[in-house]
Amino acid sequence: MNRQIRLVGVGIMVLFVGLFLQLNWLQIVHAPALEANPLNSLGVVKEYTAPRGDIVSADGVTLADSVPTNDEYKYLRQYPTGALFEDITGFFSFTYGSDGVERTYDQVLTGSNSPFKLPTSLSQLRTLLTDHNRTQSITLTALDKLQKVAQAELAGREGSVVALDPRTGAILAMYSNPSFNPNLLSGHDQTTVQASYKALSATPGIFSPGAYRQRWFPGSTFKIITASAMYDHQPALVTKVFPTLSALPLPDTTNLLHNFGGEVCGGALLELFTVSCDTGFGQVGLDLGANSLNDEATSFGFDQTPPIDLPFAAQSYFPTAASFAQDVPGVAYSAIGQQDVQATPLEMAMVAGAIANGGTMMTPHVLGHVTNAQSQVVSTYQPKPWLQATSAATAAQLTQLMVSVVDRGTGVAARIPGVAVAGKTGTAQTGTGETDDWFAAFAPAAAPTIAVAVVLPNQPSADEYQGGTLAAPIVKAMIEAYLGGGTAPVPPSTAP
Amino acid sequence: MTPGRAPARRRTELGLILLAVVLTGGLYALAGLGKAGNLPANIGPFLGVIFALLLVAHLAMRWLAPNADPILLPTAGLLNGIGYVFIARLSTQEARLQAVWTAIGIAAFIVTLRFVRHARDLERYRYSFAFAGIGLLLLPLVPGIGEDINGARLWIHLGGLNFQPGEMAKLALAIFFASVLVERADLLSQATRRIGRFLVLDPRYLAPILAAWGLSLLIFLAENDLGSSFLFFALFVGMLWVSTGRAYYLGLGAGLFGFGAFLVLKVIGHAQTRVQGWLDPWAHASTSGYQLIQGWFAIASGGLFGQGPGQSNAANIPEASTDLIFAVIAAELGLVGAAAMLFAYLLMVGTGLRIAVRCDRPFEKLLATGLSLIVGVQTFVIVGGVTRLIPLTGITLPFVSYGGSSLIANYILLALLLRISHDTETPARLPDAAGTLIGADS
Repeated sequence: MNRQIRLVGVGIMVLFVGLFLQLNWLQIVHAPALEANPLNSLGVVKEYTAPRGDIVSADGVTLADSVPTNDEYKYLRQYPTGALFEDITGFFSFTYGSDGVERTYDQVLTGSNSPFKLPTSLSQLRTLLTDHNRTQSITLTALDKLQKVAQAELAGREGSVVALDPRTGAILAMYSNPSFNPNLLSGHDQTTVQASYKALSATPGIFSPGAYRQRWFPGSTFKIITASAMYDHQPALVTKVFPTLSALPLPDTTNLLHNFGGEVCGGALLELFTVSCDTGFGQVGLDLGANSLNDEATSFGFDQTPPIDLPFAAQSYFPTAASFAQDVPGVAYSAIGQQDVQATPLEMAMVAGAIANGGTMMTPHVLGHVTNAQSQVVSTYQPKPWLQATSAATAAQLTQLMVSVVDRGTGVAARIPGVAVAGKTGTAQTGTGETDDWFAAFAPAAAPTIAVAVVLPNQPSADEYQGGTLAAPIVKAMIEAYLGGGTAPVPPSTAP
Repeated sequence: MTPGRAPARRRTELGLILLAVVLTGGLYALAGLGKAGNLPANIGPFLGVIFALLLVAHLAMRWLAPNADPILLPTAGLLNGIGYVFIARLSTQEARLQAVWTAIGIAAFIVTLRFVRHARDLERYRYSFAFAGIGLLLLPLVPGIGEDINGARLWIHLGGLNFQPGEMAKLALAIFFASVLVERADLLSQATRRIGRFLVLDPRYLAPILAAWGLSLLIFLAENDLGSSFLFFALFVGMLWVSTGRAYYLGLGAGLFGFGAFLVLKVIGHAQTRVQGWLDPWAHASTSGYQLIQGWFAIASGGLFGQGPGQSNAANIPEASTDLIFAVIAAELGLVGAAAMLFAYLLMVGTGLRIAVRCDRPFEKLLATGLSLIVGVQTFVIVGGVTRLIPLTGITLPFVSYGGSSLIANYILLALLLRISHDTETPARLPDAAGTLIGADS
């Protein structure tokens, strides 16, 4: 019998070799294909179920946190402030992926990017065996109190408010209407989540925060760039006295560029800028030419994706110089931020910020610092310049012009007692009888710590100064909330 | 007896048991860390209890079978421990029950060693075992106590307790087969007759294999259980071949089983869907192929080194603590861990077969072969099923899957193998630990 018994042993061995080979095939050879199989939800679930750190505002309000659950997703992502910070935090959803900070800083929040450190104590040894403590929390640069002001001032109207620290590029506030409560997408009941998504989708653009993903005609706020181009490209124009007109004749056409509401204006740059004279700036555009205008717009970040740490930021648009070859009148319209020129609210806040910061446009960012699970600061955002938009001398001149706008021009609604505010209005005609109403400003003019841009798009057109009457008060409220109210302004994360 | 007089084999066994306890405890700690980020609160008591259970079994060995093989008990203890860790990682409630079943299993192990003083004593009760085996097999068919679980009728339900009688039946039948086949081996190996140039089987000698085939078909048909059906038939054909040395029994067995399976598949829906799920799981990904595909995804996610104990997502795996526990283990311990586990089973089977080879009494020799074959084939059937080498059937992974019947039966199987080993290794005419003379009459 011994021969057969040994053969039984060999037989079982052969069967087990079969098992071993099959395991090799499943776990090594065929594993990538199985993991990529659309029916395989293990990977997606694993990614989704990784614990995440919190997102906190600069003034300490929790904006996103994870609570443990007993279902297969393990943690429920919650947004205690609802829609208030949705532009920045974005959302984290099993079905619809993620957006905002949840998306750009996914690896930071889960800690999967945290460097491997050799354990130096027994308690740290535990971190080798589990990734449970690797989560990191993000503190934003944005302030809960400013977000609340922006939300309250917009009062439900469509529009966006962007505030930043011109010295660092730190986003202090970013709020848009329409917005939505990210809790609607982070739930675990996928049927409910899908129904919510469908309901939200009925509002166009709701998933594209207006503050940095949508653009509108900047109108007269673009005159900041046109004026800057005068100093940088043709300083002689600064002292030129432009004729007082209600309509500017344009070359190659019988069309006239009319001042809004038939207003009559003219004079030198200070006067043109203070009253936002369209005929004057139309002529400035024609005098400067397409090349200079395009060049200056590019210096201020147009036609480039702003390097903000949020996903899918839109470029602001200024047409190429060549596109004006057959359209010289177009240069006049572009100089006043009309025709094809489009800008995001973020861009206009950065333009105001560049003037405030001596001509240097800082890289915009929402990340303040990162803390680990033990509440130690792991890393702090280091501000860096993005563009040299213009010279310090030009910026100083522009500041004077913008102070004059708030002092005695179209922006008087933004006047704050005891604080010199520098700003520029914009009331762009959309061609449908409505206007995109803007205000871009910074304060205090002597040593700016905040730059703000507000847009209220598609407003019924009641008068020609709606940028000043509708948008400027919002900017004023933002600046007041930041500088005053007994709360000391938050210092920049590093000395400039 | 004092430790100083203990044979070296028992010291080896104790050392290996310590190793098994350390491995199990380490795995339990890792699973706790992986799942909750903390050491399990009951790690101390846990280590104490598994060590105590195995120590009791070890002391029983010193007392009742001091000369037996030192590898089997620690290997079984290790597999049992790994199984427990994974059950605990999946369900605390099942883990509590499994701990109780383990204690009962070890009690059954000791009782078996104590009352079966010599394996040859079992031969006397061959027909009792035959009746018991067949009776247990058919018990689930009795109306009122039998229960369908997942389309297969493998269970009986008695006063709040579920029991899978097939697990015990395989032991009873192995004993019965061994005793009958040893007696008839000479006859059965002459089962051919020469007619002209051809050797043909004498129909009279076909009766036993046909009877076994009939029984296995009946299990398949009535209880819808391809796994046990295959296990019984393979056990019988394997033992028949080992005892007679006639290879045509293997061919005949394979043919009969294939034919029978084909016939039953034509008739039974449950078995049909199982085979569909096996042949083309992707076409039945949400129905009959679901279990297999989810198991595959889990196994694939393990890769070479696994995701770590307690770290995989087992939520989608059906029957994760019983039929598909190997998929969870492969996911968390990887190819390396899964292969190590297969090696542990090979070690058990190989040790069992070595006991058979060293034994010189035919009944015990054949019984040891049959018992080893049960462990090997059962492991192959379930692991092969989970990995899709063969159709997936609901059968337990010995010592690892959740389930009391299976654990108790396997500990009894272990005790029988160790009893045979002790008998073989005890020199003739020397007093054994209990002071009686044994081996004189072999």
